[in-house]
Parts: sequence; C-alpha cells; structure tokens
Amino acid sequence: MSEDKYRYVGQSVAREDGPEKATGAARYTHDLSFAGMLHAAILKSPHASAKIVRIDTTKAQAVPGVRAVLTGGALTYRLGIYLRDKQILANGIVRYQGEAVAAVAAETLDAARKAVSLIEVEYAPRPAVLDARQAMKKDAPLVHADLGSYDFMKGVFAPQPGTNIAHHQKIRAGNLEEGFRGSDLVHEASFMTAPVQHVPLETHAVIAQALPGGRTEVWTSSQSPYMVRHLLALTFGLPHQAIRVHVPYVGGGFGGKAGLHLEPLAIVLSRAAGGRPVKVVATREEEFNTLPSRQGLHSTIKIGVTQDGSIQALQATYVWDAGAYADYGVNVGRAAAYSGAGPYAIPHCAIDSYVVYTNKVFGTAYRGFGHLEVLWAVERAIDQVAHKLGMDPYEFRMKNLLKAGDRTITGETVTPGHGRPDLCLEAAAKEIGWGTQSVPSSDPRKVRGKGLACLHKAPAMPTYTSCSAIIKLDEDGGADVLVSGVDYGQGTYTTLRQIAAEELKIQIERVHVINDCDTAFTPYDWQTVASRFSFMGGNAVIEAAKDCLHQLKATAALALKVRPDEIDFQDGFALVATEPLRRVPYKDLALGYTFQNGSSVGGPVIGHGRYIATGLTHLDLATGQGRPAQFWTYGAHAVEIEVDTETGEVEVLKVATALDAGKVLNPLQCRGQVVGGVVQGLGSALWEGFLFSEDGRLQNGSFTDYKIPTSKDVPHEIVPIFIESPQPDGPYGARGLAEHPMISIPSAVGNALYNALKIDFDSIPITAERIQQGIAARSRA
Amino acid sequence: MSLHPIRLTVNGKPEEATVPAGMTLLEFLRERLFLTGAKEGCGAGECGACTVLLDGNPVTSCLVLAVEAAGREVRTVEGEAQEGDLSALQRAFIEEGAIQCGFCTPGMILSARALLTRNPDPTAAEIVEAIAGNLCRCTGYEAIVAAIHRAAKEERSRQ
Amino acid sequence: MAVAHATVLPFPGDESKVGLAEDERSKKMLGEFEYARAKTVKGGCALLAKAGGQGAVLAGGTDLLVTIRQGRASPVLLVDLKGVKGLLHLAVSPKVGATIGASVPMNAIVENRGIRSHYGALAEAAWTVGTYQVRHRATIAGNLCNASPAADTATPLLVLGAVLEVASPRGERELPVRDLFVDSKKTSLSFDEIVTAIRIPPVPSATRTAFLKQQRVRGHDLAILNMAGRYDPQTGDLQIAIGSCAKTPVLVPPLGLPVPPDAPIPELARRLEALAAQVTSPISDLRATAEYRRALIPVFLRRLLESLLLESDHREAIR
Repeated sequence: MSEDKYRYVGQSVAREDGPEKATGAARYTHDLSFAGMLHAAILKSPHASAKIVRIDTTKAQAVPGVRAVLTGGALTYRLGIYLRDKQILANGIVRYQGEAVAAVAAETLDAARKAVSLIEVEYAPRPAVLDARQAMKKDAPLVHADLGSYDFMKGVFAPQPGTNIAHHQKIRAGNLEEGFRGSDLVHEASFMTAPVQHVPLETHAVIAQALPGGRTEVWTSSQSPYMVRHLLALTFGLPHQAIRVHVPYVGGGFGGKAGLHLEPLAIVLSRAAGGRPVKVVATREEEFNTLPSRQGLHSTIKIGVTQDGSIQALQATYVWDAGAYADYGVNVGRAAAYSGAGPYAIPHCAIDSYVVYTNKVFGTAYRGFGHLEVLWAVERAIDQVAHKLGMDPYEFRMKNLLKAGDRTITGETVTPGHGRPDLCLEAAAKEIGWGTQSVPSSDPRKVRGKGLACLHKAPAMPTYTSCSAIIKLDEDGGADVLVSGVDYGQGTYTTLRQIAAEELKIQIERVHVINDCDTAFTPYDWQTVASRFSFMGGNAVIEAAKDCLHQLKATAALALKVRPDEIDFQDGFALVATEPLRRVPYKDLALGYTFQNGSSVGGPVIGHGRYIATGLTHLDLATGQGRPAQFWTYGAHAVEIEVDTETGEVEVLKVATALDAGKVLNPLQCRGQVVGGVVQGLGSALWEGFLFSEDGRLQNGSFTDYKIPTSKDVPHEIVPIFIESPQPDGPYGARGLAEHPMISIPSAVGNALYNALKIDFDSIPITAERIQQGIAARSRA
Repeated sequence: MSLHPIRLTVNGKPEEATVPAGMTLLEFLRERLFLTGAKEGCGAGECGACTVLLDGNPVTSCLVLAVEAAGREVRTVEGEAQEGDLSALQRAFIEEGAIQCGFCTPGMILSARALLTRNPDPTAAEIVEAIAGNLCRCTGYEAIVAAIHRAAKEERSRQ
Repeated sequence: MAVAHATVLPFPGDESKVGLAEDERSKKMLGEFEYARAKTVKGGCALLAKAGGQGAVLAGGTDLLVTIRQGRASPVLLVDLKGVKGLLHLAVSPKVGATIGASVPMNAIVENRGIRSHYGALAEAAWTVGTYQVRHRATIAGNLCNASPAADTATPLLVLGAVLEVASPRGERELPVRDLFVDSKKTSLSFDEIVTAIRIPPVPSATRTAFLKQQRVRGHDLAILNMAGRYDPQTGDLQIAIGSCAKTPVLVPPLGLPVPPDAPIPELARRLEALAAQVTSPISDLRATAEYRRALIPVFLRRLLESLLLESDHREAIR
C-alpha cells in the first residue's frame, strides 16, 4: 500500500454507529412502533400457477380487531422498476407459490393472522413452467400472457410479447464465425447456478401511513429511499413531494432491499384502514418464499482458442430463470451480458442473455448482479480450455487478461486508469503458492487442490445515475453530512466521514454522517447498490466540502481582512496562509461572522455537492456496443480446498482475494467486505440453493433446510490483498468493491475441485453429496 | 388463553407483569419492556438474533415462553454496558470491525458474554463454537472472533 | 415524525379491546394454548390425562414450539415439568450406570464428566443437537419423544441399552428405548404418559463408544445420517445403531459372534453393512438422496469401527 499522506483517508477508522449497534439502541424498522399502528399478515398462494376463481373475505373481515382486508382485484396499480408486470397483490392469477394473494391489517398480529386463515380462495391450477429453458420453448405455458400490454423502459429493454422472454440482451463484437474459424481448438460446455436468497438478518419490514390529501409517509428497511419514493410516486400517480421515505438502520440488504417490495402493500392497507399506520414485516419463511431471490442461470459457453492459448472467440448463451416477475432481473440479464465474457481481450464475441419468466419466486438484485453466475460459467470454461490445451490456467489467464489499449466486448477501450487484473491474479496466485502442489493431508482419504478465478464488475446503473450530498456546519464548528445512500453495514458512512474530515480539514470527531435517510431532508441518491456509493458519494462529499470551504473562505476573508485566495484551512481554522496565527475557528464562521461592533457577514454554511455518471451511453440493442461502465473493478481469487473423498465434504483451507481497489479508503472496512463477501460466496458455492417440488413449491424456505455459513463453516484463512492502481475519477483514486469479493468464489472452488479430483462440476451449489456421487461415478467408470 | 402473573429480574431490575401463555420471552422483552436489542430473525431458534441470557445461559428467546421465565434472571444486550460505559466486549466489537449491519450484534455479544463468564481464556476454536448458533451474513465471522478474543484478553488483564 | 401520533382512534365496540387490560394484551402469540406448571410428576400426568390427548409436555420447547409455530401441531395445553425437582437429577457412576432426569438440558449432558468418560457417544451426540443456545433448553427426553428418525441422542442410547422411566396415572413402568419408536414422529407412549428419566445400565470399564453424524454444514444441522456404536474389547460385544435411514432409529442386528480387537475392519464393515441393510431403507428427502445415504453407510461403519476397535480416544462426531 502507498504511504499515506492523508490524516484520515486510508485509516481504519471505527464506525460511528458502533455504540448504538453494540448496545441494542439502534432502531431498525423491525423495532419501530407508532401509536395506533396496525399489524399486517399476508395470504400466500399455494400454487405455482393458477387462476383465482373466487376469494371470499367475509369471515376475515368479521374477526375482531381487523381494520382492512385487501385482495388484488381492487388494486390495479402496476409495479416494476423496468417492466411493469406486477401488481401489489395477485390479481386474478397467481404466478408463483408464495405470491401474496390477500392481506389483512389488524390491531394485533394474531388477529391479522387469524383473519388471513379465514380468507377462502378457490384456485384453478394451471400448467406451470418451472425450467427457464423449457419456458423458452414455443409451446411453453405463458407466465405473462399480457406481456405486450406492459409499460417498460424503452430503448434499454425489449420484452417479447407472446413468449416468456422479458428481455434479450445481445452483445456482438467482431465476427464470431471468423473467430471460430481462426481457432485451433473450440470448447463448449454448459453450466448452471441455483437460485439463492439474500438472507439478510433483518427481514423486509415497512411501516406506512397514508395521510390526508394523498400524502404518504413510509419507514422502510431499504437500500434506496429515493427509488422507493420514485416508484411509489409512479405507482400511485402522486407527486414525489407527497411521499416521504425514512430509512432507519437496516439489518442487511445484499440487493434484496434495493427496490420496492412491501411498501405499496403497506400503503394500500393504511389507506383502507382509514389512514392508520400499518406495519408489514416478513416472517423468515416469507423472506425466503414471497420476497425475491437471486435468479438461477443456465449458461452455455463456447470458446475458441489458438494453440498458444490466445482466445479468438467466445460465444455465450445465458438463460436467466427470472421467476414470475421481471423486477431487477431484466437489468441483471443486461449487465451480466456486457460483462459476460470475463475480464479478457476477446476479438470476436457474441452473447445472448435471455431473461425468462418461470412460475417460481422471482429474482431481484443480488450482490454481484449476475456476475457471480456468469463468471461461474466463464471461469470454469476458461480452466477447462486451458486444461485441454495442456496449459497452466494461470498462464492462460495472464495471456488473455485485459490490459491498457485492449477493447472490451462493448467496444470500450481499456485505459491505465481502469486497474490491473494481472496484478490481482499474480498476487492471489502467489499467496496460494500456485505452481506448487498442496501439502498432502495426513489423512489418506482427503485430497487437496488449488483453483484460480478472475473477476470484474462495473456498477450496473443508468447513464444518468447521480448522487448528492449536503454538509452543514454547526454552531460549534462541527459538520453534519447528509446523504441518501444507505449504510446497511458496508460502512460507507464511515468512509464519507473520513473524506469529509479530510476535505474540511477538521478533526474527524467533529464530523457526523446523519444515519437516518429521510427524503424530506437528505438529498438525492440513486440507490445503494452496484458498489458505487463510496465512489459517487465520496465525490459528492468532496464537492460539498469544497463548497463549504468556499463559503468559509469568503466570510473568513472579510473577517481577517484579506483576499479570499489568501485563506487556507487547517484543523478547524480558517487562517491567512502567510500568517497562520491570524485565524478564525470554524465555529465563528459557521453561522456567519460577527465583528466586534456587532455587524455580521456571511451566514449559515451549507455546502452541497453532487456527482453524475459521466460518459455512459445506452447499449445498442442489436450489438450491445456502448459505454455502460463508470469504472471497472478487477480482481482474482485463489482457493485451496480439501475434500473428504468418502463423504464429499469440502473444507476450504485458504482463500486469497486480490482486488484493485484504486485506493483503500478504510482498510478495516475493506477487509470486512472481503471476508464477508468470500463467506457469502462460499455459501453459493457449496451449500445454498433453492429446492422446488415438481409442482413448483419451494421446499427449503426456512433455516431448517436452507443453510448459510456459520462460524464453523468459514475457511481456515482468508487473505485480502488490495492492489492500488488509482481510478482517476474516483475519490482519492478509489473504486467500489462491495460486491466483488463474492464474485468468482464459486468459480475458484470449482476449479480447485477439478484440480483435486479431476472431476468437472458444472452446477452450484457443489454439495458434499454431488461430490461424493461424482467420485463414486468416476471410480465405477 | 390463560394469563399468568410473573415476576422476574431483567438486567438486574425486578419486573412484574401478567402475560398470556402464548407470549414468547422475546415478545415480552421487546413489546412490554421495550428492550428491542433482541431481534426476531427467524422465530424458530435457528439464527440466534434473539439470544438473551437466562440465568446466565444463552437461549433463543423466541422459543422460551415468557411465563417460563418467571422467577428467573434475564440479561439482554441493554444490560451489557455498565452505567453508560461500553464493556470491553462492546468496544472490541466496534474496534475490530465486528459490526456491519448490526442486526446479529446483540445476540453475538450475549453469546460472547456467556462464554467469557464460563471460560475467561477461550481458544479461537472455543469462540467459534460459542457463536456457532449466531448467524451473521455480513462479516464472515472473522472480525467477531477477533473481537471476542481481544475482549477476553482485556478482561483477564483487568482481573 | 410527530404526524404518526395524530391518528384515528380505535373503533368503538371493538371486542378485541374488551376484557383485556392494556397490561394483558400482546401483539403476537406463538400459539393459542394454555400453560400449566406441574409441581409433581403425578400432577403433570393428571393434567395430561385431563387434556385427553390434546396436551403436550413442554420440555425445552425447541421442537414443540417450532412445530406449533409452523401450524403442524396445536395442543390445547402445555404442561411444564421443569419445576419438578426430581426431573433435574443427573447421576453417573460406572458401577450403577447413569440416571438422567427428563428435564436435564443437553448442555449438562455434553459437559458431564461421567457421561463423557463412560458414555462418550451420548455426550458427542448431544453436542450436535441444534446450537449452544438450543442445548440450554433441549432435553434428551424431548429429543427422544419427538421421535424423529434422525434424533441424534437415539442411536447412542440404543446401543447403550438405555431404558426410560415412564409415569402415568396408572403408575410407573420401564420402557427400553428400543421399544419407544413406533414410526417417524410417533412413539409408543400414550398421551398421559410422561418420561421421567433415562437410565443407562453400567458398562464394563473397557467399553468404548463412538458417534458419527453427517450434516450439510458444520454449523447446526439435522442429520443426513447418524450412527452410534458400542464395543467391549474384552468380550468382543459390538452394537451399532443407525439413524435417519428408516422410519425410526434402528439397532443393527447383532453379528452373533464376539469381535476380537484385531478383526479386519473392512470385512467386518461389509458384514455389518449386510446386517444393516435388513433394517434400513434410506429414502430421498430434502437433505439427501437415498443413494448418498446408502453410500455413507459403509463409510460410517468403517469409521465407527476404527474409532471403536483401534483407539479409544479418537472421536469425531461430525465429519
């Protein structure tokens, strides 16, 4: 790491909200309660696909304490961030088992649940389509027969009415046929990733109150207060001003709380209950079964290489199992497509990414935004083709990794400021001792192996994504930072605090980032997703701080009777650069300056800053060419595992994760993101995956049978390595890295398993059972 | 549903209430005493977010009936800091980066507190065992183990 | 923020507000049931008898309350026996055996020196039940009476020849653990019977026990397969029990011949596998396929035999 010339940036500053969280004082939406608040319960569909023939809520309405009972027929609002294919409650038709069909708001949760149990629904089950590949076939049952009638974001997405295809993203670069013709070896393989759930410790929760005149107030466990406000405004046809969104502490998001989820339901219940606040909290089972998941993916990769290991052509077909609604899924399909060949220079490339409806719980944004899934396929295929060539997978990757001057598959030219995937791969491989065999286990039944995988991701965001920040100075010279990105654990508020203190030249103890987002007060931010909040928020805070200094400078100049350009700042003082003892503390400038005779100048210092994505363009709908990426973060994982060849169990001995962070703004937090992301990635690799019955019912929708890593399941050692090749337009040269530690972890594990066992696993999770069965099959062969 | 008068001690203070049979200890703490540190993460004893100490032992309060706590001593995370001063454990959690979203933190701290009470010098493996019933999705557990280890050291040195 | 306070008052004549004082209302019940704390075993039996099959013993609650919450059971009365002093008794003596009161929590078993020394497999099995928090509440009696085929404490108790002491309005009786399990989640107890203790006969001092469990994760999990064994190197007596491979945990039929400590393990394992096949019929469920379970049986048999025949202190409860 570079020698630090900064006082705070680059330090492991502890989080300011630590004491509140460590004492139980931190209030999450789960903990909020208002006078007169009602509690909601939801009736869910038992069928994957059915017509609702009849709903009778008479008995439910008669339960004492019930204040509102709603069904879909009365609510014709259309929802959907990119494609408006959803309604608040199922309306005439249910499309997945677990879908919300009716809801009750009552004085107590018990009354609400009792009422829900008394709602009578008659369903006529219909054919369900559960496999995305089947759903693409001509005679597949249609999940959305009315796809052609839905509003959608034109110019970006292209749903295909009369089919189950919600979007088809195409990348066409070079000439694929020419590329394959010029290849000495063509390798093709198929892969699969199972749908998984985010499993935030705090399930989705919202309190909404419908006030007179259409005004609406919402408290929600969300990653995006302004997106919630925006989508509610569109959904209910209200001016944005009429809706106020509060985001208190959030107990984890991982993408699952990025958009609109339970908020519309809470609002319509409140309206129906005469404007009383209504709290809707998902049970853990509802979190798994009703709230959205990460899409499953079926991939086929065809890769052509010359004998010396140079990639000539790559063709990928991605079939996303979007579940019953498009939600963020169509954008995942888009974004993963433009990243979908990995961080390699590929002259001829064709990618077709289909986002396909099925009758299962729908997919939404999830940490990695499709990149873990496509890179499972790409990085496994890369290893496979390297093996076929008899080439070291490390050498093969090094030969093909993007470097300055190369073009990406969307036609973007890589610059030195992009970062160094090669340094990441080199560092990770070195840390794992790549090139030397693992020290064998003392237990003859156990076999060890090593695997590598690369990764890249840019924030998947609209071309107009923006962020803003306000800094207000207090009477005592402290500074309050207001932003509407959400710190739901990743620690960005601490980073912004460091940046603000650095820029304002005051002690960090004097800087406070307001923890609660409130669209009435905290200024616009797009969403806290995509690993762009530190980047864009950091830049906005820098500008806001500079604005504060600009205002301070003007007033200080008057106070000190010098020109503004003679003013400098240090340690909470504005001073004359050439005579530093002539100075005024911020506290005497924060609300304006008062001369000895009483006359005053200046006024309250309120700085504002903003940042908007620059230079991004839409992708051509036919070729995918364009500039989608504000910045790329590259990385590599190297993994060493040990397999019990009799039971199939995997123990992860070591994970080395190298990321080109640009600048590590806070080492403790960056480390936290890596360790947390690696463990979450191992969950996807080894243990997590939805299981559905033949008729489309989720079977493992609780912790009994959906297992996430516990403290006993983590690797023996995780080594985060940060490369710092500066991002020219990043705050202090930093890039985002919140999602990246998870991406390509399954790929590295799959590659390590091949190294250990010479067995190719093509789908994740790679459970102990699959490994044991694979070993048994191989010994029978 | 039957109603039961109970007396119990919570964070060292005596409490009296009448509770329905079906009310869990978690619900009692959160709704009656407004001690919202203990969280409902699953309601089924699997995630540990509702962990409190019952007569010094960590239990998942979502599976303890309030009436079962009659005559017992309950400690929640709100009882960890003494007179406003954060404990060594709380400080270690903050300084080691063991807190991200914070939702698992109260339960983790109590599991750790119970561990340090019964074993003031735990090995890393013993720490891992003690918190294995507390799920965390954010941190990957490493910083939590480090925090508990650090707090143990500090508390031992102060004995 | 203050806006939320100015809201519509509750509707007049609302029945849910009548009859319950502010202090008595709660928002969310785990279930609708009565609760009674028994002072004696006799009293507990009488309460269960009165409930006519609609009552349930509330031990640790870590199975029962989950089942109620999921709507898979709705007892009208929960009878809490944890206040009955005699049920907390835990005594272990190599000559007399062990008596474990029905209310003794799992962690007490895990930590008890006597159990660890003489009945080690039981301590190891108990250690794998749920989480540390759950084990402060869960009891062996509860684990057995829940009668899951995967019940972790069942297989050690089967090989140890444990006997349950059972009380009812009709008096007391003894029930060998092997006669407890009738079917998945079904015991041979009648609705007014209460298990008061688990008695484990004394074992010869040279006896070794071992326990193995296959899980999906290393953290807490239900068993895909579990297995316990008991071996006396002096008499050659060997007993194996298998869980999660049949409707109940089962004892493998005896070999019929003493097993010398130097018996070749692979051959022994094969013979046991054939015997095990007589009493097991693994199914495919959410946790594992029948194939995987069938594949694990010989692996576990071999590993268990290695623990039992080769070294007495090589223990690994979870692979």
